[in-house]
Amino acid sequence: MTGRSVAANIRGLTLIIAILFLLTSIGVGYWTFVAASDLNGDPFNPRLIAAVRDRARGRIVDAGNGDLAASFRAGDAYRRRYPDRSLAQVVGYASFKYGASGVEGAYQQALIGQDPSDLLGQWRARYLDERTAPGSIALGIDAKVQQAAFAALAGRRGAVVALDPKTGRILASVSLPNYDPNLLVDPAQQDVAWGQLNGNKDKPLLNRVAQGVYPPGSTFKIITAAAALESGISPDQRIRVDDPFQADKSWGDYFVRSATRAHGDFDMALAFQRSENIYFAKVGLQIGGANLAEYARKFGIGRLPDLDLAAAHGQLSNAGSLDRPTLAADTSYGQGELQVSPVQMALVAAAVANHGIMVQPHYATAVRDPGGGILRTIGGGAGDQVIRPETAARLTQLLVGAVEAPGAFAFGARIPNVHVAGKTGTAENPSGSPHGWFVGFAPAEDPQIAVAVIIENAADGGVDAAPIGGQVIRAFLGK
Amino acid sequence: MIRLRPVARLAELRLLVWVAAFSLAGYAVVVAAAAGKFSWAQLLVPVIVLGLFAALHAFLVAVGFRGDQLLLPLALGLTGLGFVLVERLAPNLLIKQLSWLVLASGAFVAVILIPRDLSALARYKYTWALLGMALLVSPLLPVVGREINGARIWVGITGVMQFEPWELVKLALVVFFAAYLDEYREILSAPPRRFGPIPLPPLPYLLPIVLMWVVAMLVMVFEKDLGATLLFFGIFLAMLYLATGEPFYTVIGLLLLVAGGVVAYHVFGHVAARVDVWLAPFASDLRFDTGYQLTQGLFSLGNAGLFGAGLGNGMPERIPVVWSDFVFDAFTEEVGFAGALALLALYLAFVYRGMLVALRAPTTFLQLLAGGLSFIIAFQTLVIVGGNAKLIPLTGITLPFVAYGGSSLVTNFILCGLLLRVSDITARVRG
Repeated sequence: MTGRSVAANIRGLTLIIAILFLLTSIGVGYWTFVAASDLNGDPFNPRLIAAVRDRARGRIVDAGNGDLAASFRAGDAYRRRYPDRSLAQVVGYASFKYGASGVEGAYQQALIGQDPSDLLGQWRARYLDERTAPGSIALGIDAKVQQAAFAALAGRRGAVVALDPKTGRILASVSLPNYDPNLLVDPAQQDVAWGQLNGNKDKPLLNRVAQGVYPPGSTFKIITAAAALESGISPDQRIRVDDPFQADKSWGDYFVRSATRAHGDFDMALAFQRSENIYFAKVGLQIGGANLAEYARKFGIGRLPDLDLAAAHGQLSNAGSLDRPTLAADTSYGQGELQVSPVQMALVAAAVANHGIMVQPHYATAVRDPGGGILRTIGGGAGDQVIRPETAARLTQLLVGAVEAPGAFAFGARIPNVHVAGKTGTAENPSGSPHGWFVGFAPAEDPQIAVAVIIENAADGGVDAAPIGGQVIRAFLGK
Repeated sequence: MIRLRPVARLAELRLLVWVAAFSLAGYAVVVAAAAGKFSWAQLLVPVIVLGLFAALHAFLVAVGFRGDQLLLPLALGLTGLGFVLVERLAPNLLIKQLSWLVLASGAFVAVILIPRDLSALARYKYTWALLGMALLVSPLLPVVGREINGARIWVGITGVMQFEPWELVKLALVVFFAAYLDEYREILSAPPRRFGPIPLPPLPYLLPIVLMWVVAMLVMVFEKDLGATLLFFGIFLAMLYLATGEPFYTVIGLLLLVAGGVVAYHVFGHVAARVDVWLAPFASDLRFDTGYQLTQGLFSLGNAGLFGAGLGNGMPERIPVVWSDFVFDAFTEEVGFAGALALLALYLAFVYRGMLVALRAPTTFLQLLAGGLSFIIAFQTLVIVGGNAKLIPLTGITLPFVAYGGSSLVTNFILCGLLLRVSDITARVRG
């Protein structure tokens, strides 16, 4: 008989089985050791919430130490109370059944007294079941700016975000429609509420500020201008605009259109005031798609913002580059295949405001211990120099003009006795009437606040958005 | 009449004392952890279980059984652990599981007693094959067939009893394959024809490979059960390897399986859904939907550490259907990686012992039979533990002896009885 004996095959099969058992054991070890800290800190892990069912979770407070989330006793367990619905998606919820979201999720461990910076506390909780009393999370939210932003956007779908251009601290963050997070922590109502919220096509659970992506429209012209200024194009050079425009016959029946059906010579200042698409398309073609793509990347377009809550990265284009001339031209004035989030655009404005330095955005400013002392601070990195300070200064002048010059589109953002720099945008999109944008900052000479506003399917596009930006800035400056 | 010729089975007895000690201690801890206090009356069920275990041992002693002394304590140790976990995870199913254990013990006794000569199994191999096929398609029949959790693998009468015929099919298959491969093994004595470096499989091998593959794919399509498909084909390939020692057949078989899987992924929604969950259970659109069970299972593993949270102290009850699908993760969460390794070691010891029985068996048929039966335990353990730990897509296969489930308990006891019978025959032949 050729071939191996059955006995030899039995030994062979047993060996294979033993090896597979070994590999399986290693796989199990991966989850119990290597991946354990990720799993244990996952905001959806019910153990984190169960661990403190019979204790109060830490508070979440705004910049003025006002409660945004606090625990109260309901029967034999503690429950959360969320007083400010305007921050629903930011503060989030901590539900025993549906996990945690927002700050409740991102700072979950700190809120149950196991902050990652407190190793001893983590070990005591795990092995001795002695939990450190939870501290609190301080957010950078400024109540009066928040209320102003909420009031200004009320009744619309969209988002408003305001931040400190020097530190990245988020001062206000509104995303509408919102929801009542108190429903999701009430055992009697949470199932119905969860079903309705997830079935709602307007997506109230989504934090549009960081997770919503839209074409930026004309607000993107700030980036095109920055690239042009640093590529040797003089802002005073006049460029001929004749509506409609195409670079050459290879574009076929494709044209770039001017919003004002313009015919004439434009310099950069006038192009900003009138939001002239053809001017920026020509400039974009002149400096080249690769160059423009490089500046978009520097400004964080298509890149995940280094935010402490969930965020979308958006995109420069479907392929990530601008190799077709028509795509480069369309992108230059903010259409093409661009997708950006409001916080990304607020950061673009903030970088211009902050002498070309883009800082890291953050909702929380500090994790505090139970006594109120600082356990660790959030944010405060040096930031990246994305454009030269001279470029930023020049852009600031141009953006002040876009608000203050006679006939400027962003006139709605004007504030008496304060120079506001800003740009509106009207973003064509497949979901109906265009989205209205405003991004800006103030005061122009020493910027302290940068804002981004988007109104989904606005009747008058950017013209609707500019006054909302103005009101938010006003509330912050106390004017 | 059964003639009583008592023999001492001291190794078995000693090991069963350990089984009793661990099962009682584990059960007591679970009960105490759940109630916050402990009373002796709550130990009634485990005492009955241990009484049954003792009776099985006494029965083997009484009939002068000379088979292996390790397999039964290993199987009963796992079963005892299973009762601890049913009490922990689904105490309302405890009495049901106990009645299944009585039935399983009866089946075990029957296997030890009735086929005095196992060659009868080989003689009627096509009968077994037909019976297996009939059982396999029975869930597809109108009145008695049941679809539960998306898989149509049950027969039963609503409210009275449900049974997974698939469990018994495994045994029928192993018996048939052992007999069939034993008969055609001689074809190997002819020098294999080769096509270049590739040995051309003789028709009697090729034909059943293709046939089995077709049947396995049909099971996947019509009964929507990935686990059964995998097990069906796995048993076949393993036994083909045992009989021929030719890795080439196994490779062809695996390639066919992968090809079938890829096609199924693109054609059948239920296959694609399983695979998508496996690849990314934490994806935001899956984690509260089809990925929920697996993510909760992984959270259990993450909470395990080296020594676990302690019996009764974890949160495995958050995993849906934990008592049948995710016992391994639940057990690991509470006894840690160390406990998980110990559990896997118990299975490996059972498989090793079973393979030793196969190695020593006097005829090729008995060798293939014992090898195939041992492989079932190994393969089921690997597939479900792998599924629980996201190493492979999750299937509905149960953790042998431990997971809640009547059909599988009965089948595994029969399987253990058959292995013991083979070792008994070996002992008698060798004198």
